[in-house]
Amino acid sequence: MPRTATGTAAKRSGMSLNTRNTLVGMTFILPNFIGFFCFVLIPVAFSFVLSFMEWDGFTEMKFVGIENFLDIFDDRVFRAALVQTVTFSIFTVAFSMVLALALAILLNNKLKGVNFFRAAIFFPYVASIVAVAAVFKAMFMKDGGPINEFLGLFLPDSMLPGWLASTDWALAACIIVQVWKNMGYFMIIYLAALQDIPYSLYEAASIDGATKWQQFKSITLPMLTPSHFYVLMMLVINSFKTFDLIFTLTEGGPGTSTTMLSQYIYNESFISWNYGGASAAAMVLFLIVAAVTLLQFRVERKFNDFM
Amino acid sequence: MKKATSLLLALAMTGTLLAGCGSTASSSAAADSTASGATSEEAAATGEQVTIKLANWDTSTQPAVTQLVEAFEAANPDIKVEIIDVPSADYTTKLSVMLNGGSDVDAFYIKDADTMVGLAQKGQLADLTSYIEADGIDLADFNGLAENFNVDGKQYAMPARTDYYIMYYNKDVFDAAGVAYPSNDWTWADFEEIAGQLTSGEGANKTYGAYLHTWQACVECWGVQDGQHTIMDYQTGYDFFKPYYEMALRMQDAGSIQDYGTLKTGNIHYSGPFSQGTVGMLPMGTYYMSTLMQSIANGESSVNWGIATLPHPEGVEAGWTVGSTTPIAINAASDKQDAAWKLVSFITGEEGAQIYAANAQIPGRSNDEILSTIGAVEGMPEGAAEALAVKNIALDRPVADKVSEVNQMLGEEHGLIMLGELSVDEGLAEMAERAAEIVEE
Amino acid sequence: MIEKKKNPLSGAVLYVVLILITAVTLLPLLWMLSSSFKLSTEVFTVPIRWIPETFHWENYLTIWQKIPFGLFTFNSAKLTVIITLIQLFTCSFAAYGFTKCKFRGRDTLFLCYVATIAIPWQSYMLPQYSMMQKLGLVDTHLGYILMQAFAAFGVFLLRQFFQSIPNDLLEAARIDGLSEYGTYFRIVLPLAKPSLASLAILSFVTTWNDFMGPMIYFNSEANKTIPLGIRMFQGQYSSDWQFIMAASVISLIPVFVLYLFCQRYFVQGIATSGMKG
Repeated sequence: MPRTATGTAAKRSGMSLNTRNTLVGMTFILPNFIGFFCFVLIPVAFSFVLSFMEWDGFTEMKFVGIENFLDIFDDRVFRAALVQTVTFSIFTVAFSMVLALALAILLNNKLKGVNFFRAAIFFPYVASIVAVAAVFKAMFMKDGGPINEFLGLFLPDSMLPGWLASTDWALAACIIVQVWKNMGYFMIIYLAALQDIPYSLYEAASIDGATKWQQFKSITLPMLTPSHFYVLMMLVINSFKTFDLIFTLTEGGPGTSTTMLSQYIYNESFISWNYGGASAAAMVLFLIVAAVTLLQFRVERKFNDFM
Repeated sequence: MKKATSLLLALAMTGTLLAGCGSTASSSAAADSTASGATSEEAAATGEQVTIKLANWDTSTQPAVTQLVEAFEAANPDIKVEIIDVPSADYTTKLSVMLNGGSDVDAFYIKDADTMVGLAQKGQLADLTSYIEADGIDLADFNGLAENFNVDGKQYAMPARTDYYIMYYNKDVFDAAGVAYPSNDWTWADFEEIAGQLTSGEGANKTYGAYLHTWQACVECWGVQDGQHTIMDYQTGYDFFKPYYEMALRMQDAGSIQDYGTLKTGNIHYSGPFSQGTVGMLPMGTYYMSTLMQSIANGESSVNWGIATLPHPEGVEAGWTVGSTTPIAINAASDKQDAAWKLVSFITGEEGAQIYAANAQIPGRSNDEILSTIGAVEGMPEGAAEALAVKNIALDRPVADKVSEVNQMLGEEHGLIMLGELSVDEGLAEMAERAAEIVEE
Repeated sequence: MIEKKKNPLSGAVLYVVLILITAVTLLPLLWMLSSSFKLSTEVFTVPIRWIPETFHWENYLTIWQKIPFGLFTFNSAKLTVIITLIQLFTCSFAAYGFTKCKFRGRDTLFLCYVATIAIPWQSYMLPQYSMMQKLGLVDTHLGYILMQAFAAFGVFLLRQFFQSIPNDLLEAARIDGLSEYGTYFRIVLPLAKPSLASLAILSFVTTWNDFMGPMIYFNSEANKTIPLGIRMFQGQYSSDWQFIMAASVISLIPVFVLYLFCQRYFVQGIATSGMKG
């Protein structure tokens, strides 16, 4: 931490060190913070308050304590959504991370046409969700869809998954689409970080006779630590909050087999007009993500101490 | 390079500020007009222009709404109507956000009529009773549709349009199979049997005898067609749906309708297969008439179509069908309610009814004369007026509390039954159980 | 990995692997492209037809006539550029404050930021809308900009990157007499180019493809954006998939151009400036 430097600066101006630091820090933060405070933090705080209220969005609110929380945990759709959101997130995060890293490493070669490959992998990330959802619905068709036509080369017809038309496979299909859509962005993040690792480290390692795998384990992975944290964090948050893609792909179905917490919140708000329940569900989502984040910060700090 | 970049950024920032100021100016102008709306009565009296906002969905495919607004503006030069067009799938969400926000919208159609009670309970709908009395409007002209929007003696909305299920059929498919065209007195058993006879071909060239769209309504509605039950009667275990689920599954297995899974994942819209001529019969709402005629008129389709009254359950009189009403209402928070009422009473009045009829849409204020106008619209098949003349329209969804939630749940379970994930009995039992949870919560 | 000497066989294998992965990744997009040349009735057929029977190039003209696509594109571009620029500026500033200035309450404040990232927009869009409504900002671009430009993830993203900038470097700058602001502009900002590029892309794509925000906030046609336009083709009474696909293809282009522009920052980035390690 830059304690000494700001210290000297403070001495120069003759202001108290604390005041001076706070002031300087504030000038950096304020431009963003004012907007953030007014347009994000206030509504979010309101939503927090709402989770303890009964409210239809228009008439007067009524304080109901933790009743909203009890109600939603009593609701089978909420419980299903909670389990599905966690499952979806775990798989999405794991697959995206591994794939993004693997692709970044593959594409960190000085190959002819490497820019083309990078761009191609990145492409899905920018595609519009409405179109992507429509395309994937057709790709996943049980009979005659390209994915099952391909699988049909190896599997008997009876073993072909029903994908979006099956409660057992719909979530898997959603995970595939989510990973496909977003891995390009995270690959780029990893790619940028990979370029950062000094080549000399690998040279030294190969002189010492380290294998590729050893180099990967002891140089590449640890050197990418800050990126891992960022990627992990973004993935966790994005997949827990995911809404648009799954909503357009399955509307939460078949049944409620792909209903996510965010869609539950949406339905509670706009079909049931139960804003209290919706906010309570949002708080549960928040607590999960906050717990994961805190855990990650802990680990990260430990990591930084070692470095 | 650096200088260029920073110059660019500086320019962009200035642009931001300018854009910001521009918008502020226009929005404050908008605010002014809202403020002046409070005195819109005097404004109207002095001939000053009032602008009211009307919310609607899919305006580009509903030419009637644009025509209604134009005719209204011509008749009321002091009132200007701005249409807020919202994609249909998001209409209900957007409407509730706008209403909760306050006075963004003055008059609006309600897409799902059953949400009307909820809106009225929240106090978001203006009470129209005094307007109706003052103008001497006879609600009996709406054939009983208006009563649905009366809560505790207060009329909160007016029936603008009504739609009900009829059966569209493809004459060429019937001719090819050598089967006589459907009559206006068919039972569902007839429908199923003939669907089997009409089915022919394989793979890409297959002709399906019938088409049932993926909505739960396209199975469950036949269960409420007799007017004995509504989708809220969960105490009965929903056994009145059972014959129709069994029918749909039988037809799916027999291949006389395309299976639910393919329709759902294939992004198939009901208009596709019918307008391409690959299905024989399609039970669908009357709203499809005008869309179909449009696509024939602009050459997208060449289907040789006809319509018949919806098949009825055994033991129910011919001419009993299922449908819904599209009401129009006024925002309780609007400060231009008088002007908005003028629009609402125009749309639901006789002139409005004529405009709807000319677009082959059925107005809430319907009668034999209107139906024959619709039947005479260019492009309508022969015998349309007779097919449209129905005896009773059961509501697909009753106007009551918690209907939207129950309907959402029914949709979820419907998918599971149609995909074979649940048997009919399991599915209906689960529906009843979940409906009880929702209603008794 | 960065290995200079290559055995030609492993090079070939690498190519095959890459081409396979790329093909699988691009397949859905190619199908989107091919559908954009079809008739509405040909888009979803079983089995899928990869190459249209006849190419209906006119789909790309029709979309400009059916909806004011040009206006929507302009609106999308305007909003996206402004929001992205505000994000880049204010977020990098704030992130620097949160990483490299030490003051009381800093971590609590940052926690507020992180907290809001985890809360889905659906749960607070109603209060936010009511607020904007009272400010008279509904159905204005300004309202939407204010709502989008201060999302917390930008600060979070950049803070994560700034943490990897060694403090010694900043120390040195300060000892050389640079003020905190000087340090930020002269040392940190140039170093942060790759992370700024990645924020730019994130923010650009998010805003460009945002549907719910404009859907809720914009009423008049004059304010609408591309995703709303695409949605107009998908109505209750019909769905024009060929136009949806064509409009989606067109809307891909600007984002992709931005990617190509930003790419060099990812690739060269800190590596060429040689500051780290």
